[in-house]
Amino acid sequence: MHHGMGVDGYYPLLYVIWLLPLLGAVACWAFGPQLKRTAGALGSATIGASFVATLLSWGAATQSAGGALGAHAHLFSWMPGWNFGLLLDPLSLLWVLIITGVGFLIHVYSIGYMYTDRAIARFFAYMNFFVFAMLTLVLSDNFVGLLVGWGLVGLASYFLIGFWFHKPSAVAAARKAFVINVVGDVAIMFAIFIMFSRIGSISFGDVFAHVDRLGSLLFLVCLCLFVGAAAKSAQIPLHTWLPDAMEGPTPVSALIHAATMVTAGVYLVARCWPLWNASPDAQMLVGTIGGLTALVGAILGIAQWDIKRILAYSTMSQIGYMIMGVGAGAYAAGVAHFFTHAFFKALLFLGSGIIIHELGDEQDVRRMGGLMKKLPFAFWCMLAGVLAISGIPGFSGFFSKDAVIYGMLQHGHPWLYAVGILTAGITAYYMFRLFFVTFLGEYRGTVATSAPGAGHAGPGGRPAHAPGWLMAVPVGILAVFATIAGYVLIGGGASPWSRFFAQTFPPESLPRPAIGEGLTTVIALVVVLCGIGIAYLRYATKEALANAPARLARESARMPAPLVHLFYFDDAIEWLFVRPAQLLGEIFGRFFDPRVIDGAVQETAVSSQWLGALVRSAQTGLVRAYVLIVVFGAACFIAYYALAGGVR
Amino acid sequence: MTTNLYSQADWAAVTPLFVVGITALVVLLADLFAKRHSNRYVSLLLGVLGLGAAAVICAQSYGQNYAAFGGGFVLGGFTVVFEEIILLAAGFSLVLYGAIGSEERMAGVVALMLWGTSGAMLMAGAANLMTIFLGLELLSLALYCLCGLAARATAREAALKYLILSSAASGFMLYGMALLFGASGSVALSALTAASVAASPFFWMGCGLFLVGLTFKLSLVPFHVWAPDVYEGAPLPVTAFMSVVTKAGALAVFARFAYAALPSGAAAHLLLPIWIVAGASMLVGNLGMLAQTDIKRLLAYSGIAQIGYIVAALAGGTSQGLRYAIYYLVAYTFMNLGAFAVVALCSTDKEEGSHVAALHGLGYRRPALAAAMTFFLLALAGFPPTAGFLGKVFILATNVGSGYAWLAALLIIGTAISLYAYFKVIRAMYDRAPSHRVVDVRPVAPLAWLSLAICLAGVLVMTFYPLTPSNVLPLVK
Repeated sequence: MHHGMGVDGYYPLLYVIWLLPLLGAVACWAFGPQLKRTAGALGSATIGASFVATLLSWGAATQSAGGALGAHAHLFSWMPGWNFGLLLDPLSLLWVLIITGVGFLIHVYSIGYMYTDRAIARFFAYMNFFVFAMLTLVLSDNFVGLLVGWGLVGLASYFLIGFWFHKPSAVAAARKAFVINVVGDVAIMFAIFIMFSRIGSISFGDVFAHVDRLGSLLFLVCLCLFVGAAAKSAQIPLHTWLPDAMEGPTPVSALIHAATMVTAGVYLVARCWPLWNASPDAQMLVGTIGGLTALVGAILGIAQWDIKRILAYSTMSQIGYMIMGVGAGAYAAGVAHFFTHAFFKALLFLGSGIIIHELGDEQDVRRMGGLMKKLPFAFWCMLAGVLAISGIPGFSGFFSKDAVIYGMLQHGHPWLYAVGILTAGITAYYMFRLFFVTFLGEYRGTVATSAPGAGHAGPGGRPAHAPGWLMAVPVGILAVFATIAGYVLIGGGASPWSRFFAQTFPPESLPRPAIGEGLTTVIALVVVLCGIGIAYLRYATKEALANAPARLARESARMPAPLVHLFYFDDAIEWLFVRPAQLLGEIFGRFFDPRVIDGAVQETAVSSQWLGALVRSAQTGLVRAYVLIVVFGAACFIAYYALAGGVR
Repeated sequence: MTTNLYSQADWAAVTPLFVVGITALVVLLADLFAKRHSNRYVSLLLGVLGLGAAAVICAQSYGQNYAAFGGGFVLGGFTVVFEEIILLAAGFSLVLYGAIGSEERMAGVVALMLWGTSGAMLMAGAANLMTIFLGLELLSLALYCLCGLAARATAREAALKYLILSSAASGFMLYGMALLFGASGSVALSALTAASVAASPFFWMGCGLFLVGLTFKLSLVPFHVWAPDVYEGAPLPVTAFMSVVTKAGALAVFARFAYAALPSGAAAHLLLPIWIVAGASMLVGNLGMLAQTDIKRLLAYSGIAQIGYIVAALAGGTSQGLRYAIYYLVAYTFMNLGAFAVVALCSTDKEEGSHVAALHGLGYRRPALAAAMTFFLLALAGFPPTAGFLGKVFILATNVGSGYAWLAALLIIGTAISLYAYFKVIRAMYDRAPSHRVVDVRPVAPLAWLSLAICLAGVLVMTFYPLTPSNVLPLVK
């Protein structure tokens, strides 16, 4: 073990952190009919206990022992170079805290959200299984374990997107997400093949200590890993599954498609920083893709009307920021944006979940409006989230986004810097568009929200517009964190954040760019305020609010075609990959397979049966036949040895 | 003749053998006094205790290197590991017999098995021609009796076939030994390493005949013909015993012969026929499985192929190869005995449940049992990540590395064929169609369950922790 990763020490609490969610999943699955709604409590409790265990491990994870950082627990050794174990160092600690902490809040929220669903035990079994898979991914101390987790979260995501499997659109979305994710899995597999063939080990420590052995293949390894990261983190052009994945229940969107799973790509790039640091080409590629994704996601966010799809595109755009950060070398900043994003995006999803819940599964913002009066709690929470994502000073998003944008300049990417600032403005615009259209003006929908149980099955006949405490408390906690989480970044190089990651990421001694950090903040802020201003003028002036239905209808009618068609990504994939693949499948299915493959298999089966019968026919059961065979064999031996001995 | 011809250390080296042999006598004596319905447990308990004691004594001598009795019996890591494998398999077979065997013959079977075991242990440490033959015959004599024990015509037939063919093989071997003695003037294996010996035609012919006998005991093609019939006819626990103990003993002798008793330079030519028959065994064994409807015959063919893999690991003569062979032998012990335990659990007093049809629908009648059987069969077939897979990968690596790529190719082809055969059994277990011939599982056989669990744990532990190759292999020096 080298390179500060994987101490030879032994820290058994990691097993607890790792396996408790699995235990919960198995219990919810096996005893679902008996548990019914207590499944939610059980599932939440195991995640919460895992979170507490993680907090207890804080000290071990952040300390260095024997020259290496973090807590380690061995699982088993397979063949030489195949050592499996768990590793909790600051990077994985951060992810585990978010997965179990935010995961716990979302679990509790789900008890309220899924209260009336008859399959609630199945839901929590899946949710717990997802958390277990995600922990496998981030706790693994080697690439194969990471890939196992990578595949399992894809599977869990498939289950959860398709949770309402009676909806054909949900099933289609689940399938799409799964297929695109598998593309990424295969790419990572190839990266592992290359790394193992060159370095002879699958563990992070060994690989990162011998990056030089990869030689000319380094870029290819980075590329393969990044294809995996892009598929999971919805980066261009593998992002098309994420908006569709909103077919799942809203807590799922919050947990998987905002806070945790989609940031796995960020984790992968941050974890493999020694590879990226050694390959400037790969850094350039990843940074550029991240920046493009941030921009494209934000632009597409403008054109959406479904509240969850707006949030989906904003997620894509924000992950673009993170990928841009870690890709271009600003690791701590990129990871910081993951940290704050987990809170404010989970908050936004859960807040929108309250709205959707109260309005009887209405998701179109054109049929909302005026919810400030009806749902004041959701209003204040969503306001905190919108301010945070827009990067308003004092809220968490401000600090982390600023760090990423400024990091671009520090690492010599002025174009990405510009993209970051521009995207910040667009983000502010479409998030406030969402906010104004949803909460201001008059209510444009048809659901009588003040009537109990109207329009949808209100759980237990409680008033439909007041979220039960089960849903309100987690959202409230998230709102607090969405506001204050960024304060750990205050102080630049001496901030708690920098000190936390001091031993994880390479020390940076960067030139001071021409534009200082203060000036960057001011520029970004001006652009953000412009975005908010435009949104205000279009959606929140008195005149706009008065004519809201007509104006919104006009806007949707006049939406530019590229935006309506989401920049034709789906069509391009359809024509470039899906259709040719279908054609190929057709050819193989019609001609090649039945004649060549099946023919060969049939032939092999028939001939081996025949050979088997031949062997059997020698087995007559008669001793004299056996003696004959033995004598014949012995004669062959004797002949060989007589000749071999004679020749010598 | 002086009283101090052999020192105390000489006798200490063979203490485990004596413990096992004397336990057999104690078992017979105890049977005279034991009550009618308790003698099964008395014999079994005494037998297992004796084997356990021998295993402990054996383990304590680990780390010592000593040539006892003037080089007749060599004590060392190699010997100890083989002795432990043999003791384990013997204990397992005893337990299996206790679970399903007949009451009245218990003591006799236990005693015979113990004597056979001590013979195999002697083979594990034998380093001269006399002790090799002594051990071999001690084992064979016990097996002749054990094969014919069941009250079936096939059992008697099996015993007779084994007696005739095995005697012929012993004859070959003895003649070969005589020639080897003629070539070197000594019975010690170490005497064969002299360069002058290699020039003698006696030596070559002697090697040929000696190896014919040994190949027969290993049941390699074409000297395997006896195995399916004998395995089918013999009582199931005896078959389990033979499938591991005989092979382990013969393999120990072969490995010692191939590694320590050949003149340098001649080994490649001398042993080439063995590698060829090992390769042929992989093909014939696996092909033979395809047409079988009797599970014991199927496992017999499977064993022929598996021993082919193990012997192939020794090609190249590297110490790595020897370690891999032992690793695979241990894995084979667990996988194979586990499969036998499942078959034993599916048997009744009248019928040994050895027809594949008896397993039809087992996955629905006894899911746990079927799952265990599936696991053992997958391990035998070499599915990742089981110990069977690991062992095969190691053997492939060592074969390719030492220039025997053709053996590696045969191993792959053989494995491919075997998949079909093993999966036929698995498919039968999960076949929903009602079978015309369903034998219900014997109601209580806790002992067989116990041995099954041990095997399952064994394969799992070998696959994962801590008996992984990197951990266990340094044990064998």
